[in-house]
Amino acid sequence: MRFLDRRIHLITGKGGVGRTTVTAALARAAARHGRRTLALEIGDPDGGYSPLGRLLGRETLSETPARLSQHLSVAHLWAPVGHEGFLRSVLPGGPLIKSALKSRALRKFLDAAPSFHEMGVFFHLLLLLEATREDGQPEHEVILIDMPATGHTLALTGLPDLLLGLIPRGPVAKALRRGQAFMNNPAQAAAWVVTLPEQLPVTESLELLDGLARTQVPIGGVLLNRYPDDPFDPEERAALDAFMAQHPAQGGLALKRIDQAQGAADRLRAGTDALIVSLPEVWVDDPGPVLEAQLHAAMRRTP
Amino acid sequence: MSAPSPAQLLDARKVIVCCGAGGVGKTTVSASLALAAARRGKRVLVVTIDPSKRLAEALGVDRNPPEPVALAADRLAKLGVQAPGSLSAWMLDPQLVSDTVVRERSRTPDEAERLLTNPIYRNVSAMIAGMQEYTAVEALHAFVGDDQYDLVVLDTPPSRNALRFLDAPDRVGAFLDRRIFNLFVPGEGGVIRRVASRLIEKVLDTTFGEDTRRDLQVFFELFSQILGHLNKNQHDMRAFFQSEAVSFLLVTSPAREAVTEAFFFEKKTREELGLHLGGYVLNRSLAWAADLPMPDTLRRPVDAPAALGRALGRLAPLAQAEAQLARTHADLASELRNRAGDHGFAWVLPRLPDGAGALEALIGLADALMTDGLAASPAGGPTTA
Repeated sequence: MRFLDRRIHLITGKGGVGRTTVTAALARAAARHGRRTLALEIGDPDGGYSPLGRLLGRETLSETPARLSQHLSVAHLWAPVGHEGFLRSVLPGGPLIKSALKSRALRKFLDAAPSFHEMGVFFHLLLLLEATREDGQPEHEVILIDMPATGHTLALTGLPDLLLGLIPRGPVAKALRRGQAFMNNPAQAAAWVVTLPEQLPVTESLELLDGLARTQVPIGGVLLNRYPDDPFDPEERAALDAFMAQHPAQGGLALKRIDQAQGAADRLRAGTDALIVSLPEVWVDDPGPVLEAQLHAAMRRTP
Repeated sequence: MSAPSPAQLLDARKVIVCCGAGGVGKTTVSASLALAAARRGKRVLVVTIDPSKRLAEALGVDRNPPEPVALAADRLAKLGVQAPGSLSAWMLDPQLVSDTVVRERSRTPDEAERLLTNPIYRNVSAMIAGMQEYTAVEALHAFVGDDQYDLVVLDTPPSRNALRFLDAPDRVGAFLDRRIFNLFVPGEGGVIRRVASRLIEKVLDTTFGEDTRRDLQVFFELFSQILGHLNKNQHDMRAFFQSEAVSFLLVTSPAREAVTEAFFFEKKTREELGLHLGGYVLNRSLAWAADLPMPDTLRRPVDAPAALGRALGRLAPLAQAEAQLARTHADLASELRNRAGDHGFAWVLPRLPDGAGALEALIGLADALMTDGLAASPAGGPTTA
């Protein structure tokens, strides 16, 4: 299963591991392969700050995909769009749907009611997945979502199950099952856990992988970000360690990081059967282009 | 007043609130501040929402106890806290706090039971927008005016919006809009209300089925009553937040994006909430490494093996990158200092070696806070030994 053959990729991981940077680089790389690619983040009801937008050159995002280049668009998932979409799909036409969509009270209810925000987000995603062009081809061939902090990721991926428990029948349940069938299909969807080759992030990633497995979202793999290159042979390293122990200097931290990264990667491999892809450590202000090149190459072969 | 040092701040304030985006190390910074104050002889409580197992283990406390837990004497000794100083921790499970609030605030035990067993409440109360933040404020409220503690350090819930915590009352207020919720509860009312009520009922019945609609109605009715009681606390807290007794810290990691985001939130709090931040904490900085020599400037022993020459050559680009990173971190620190101005502070905490246990990390950061330089190298130093 190549990366590009799946329709939807959830990019998850704890704050600070470079998740948004990786999402932006993956999106650019997929677009360079000629796929109509849509990068998404979950819209913050408070509005304002868009980390993904910033990386892709937009201050703010809207619910309508904004075209960045021939094959790359960006937008945010916006609960009210999903709410409207599902109301339209479940209510009979005519006066009921008209007054429902006009009702401010109903809108307020949907904003305030627990988990309805996530539900709106989920339905908006479903609308984007199912959008087609005139020729019947998907409007967005590859969709990538920069998923928020761990807890929210599980809230969203676990949402269909949760809601189906509450609402087992009816049109909403049907739509939820449709979305769930999509999200749980390994040929269509994959979740990627971005992490760092360090002790604590690896521990948390293993926990996140367990959590994802419980929500039955297929795991694409782990993206081990900022993995330092080890340029030394054992003889060189031994000589260097002996010397640096006497003379603290720049580069000492890099050596420590190399050792820690190898230890962390070993622990990750021992803890999961998932595919692990190492991404290079990039010591520049904008790691985007280097990551993009690496991911572009990886997409041809990544199972 | 000029910018306070950490010691001055810990001595002068009753409450310190740590805000920041997810992943910046907010919980560790909160716990270290609390530890530093306890070591100064204060009776301190640190409150965190949904904390890591690791921190709970380091402090030797359970997660999710019903009330604050005082650290055991041997743990305090390990952490370097001496009487009269003390340290308590309260690691809150949002669900547990919510359940407690329901029991305490319902009008009758029967109503509490109805809400606690309501399927909507059971499944989703932890997901209500603003609920965790609301919980934090509620928890804090209980300790304001209580002289059991000299200082309370509050670690705000992880959230993409660093300051969402501050407007939690408004957010949950959406629930309290009785005009809205009345529409879902059958009852009297004017013609317009009855029409709106019927419309919503019809939409909900069509969409979710009658059973779910009834569950929703019960949930809304009972839950918004409880939140109505709580709202007064939140109102009091808003006034308290603006007093001299409280200081807000914005924790950030040493990355360009994170600092830009921190500035964005500072502006937003000032303009929209009228609250002023005490200052910034730049966490995990490597700025201290900027002063180390480059390896190729070091004199090699005359009998050095050839491998050392090759190794130093390969190390050079890594060392340059590291020096560059240290300079970037130093630049970010001075940007934060400029932004903080004359009255605010910008403290820099070092990145501790990976693999440092949670206990060592707390002690290391508490030490760093009390070091005037604040950018001192972490214990052990930047060697490869």
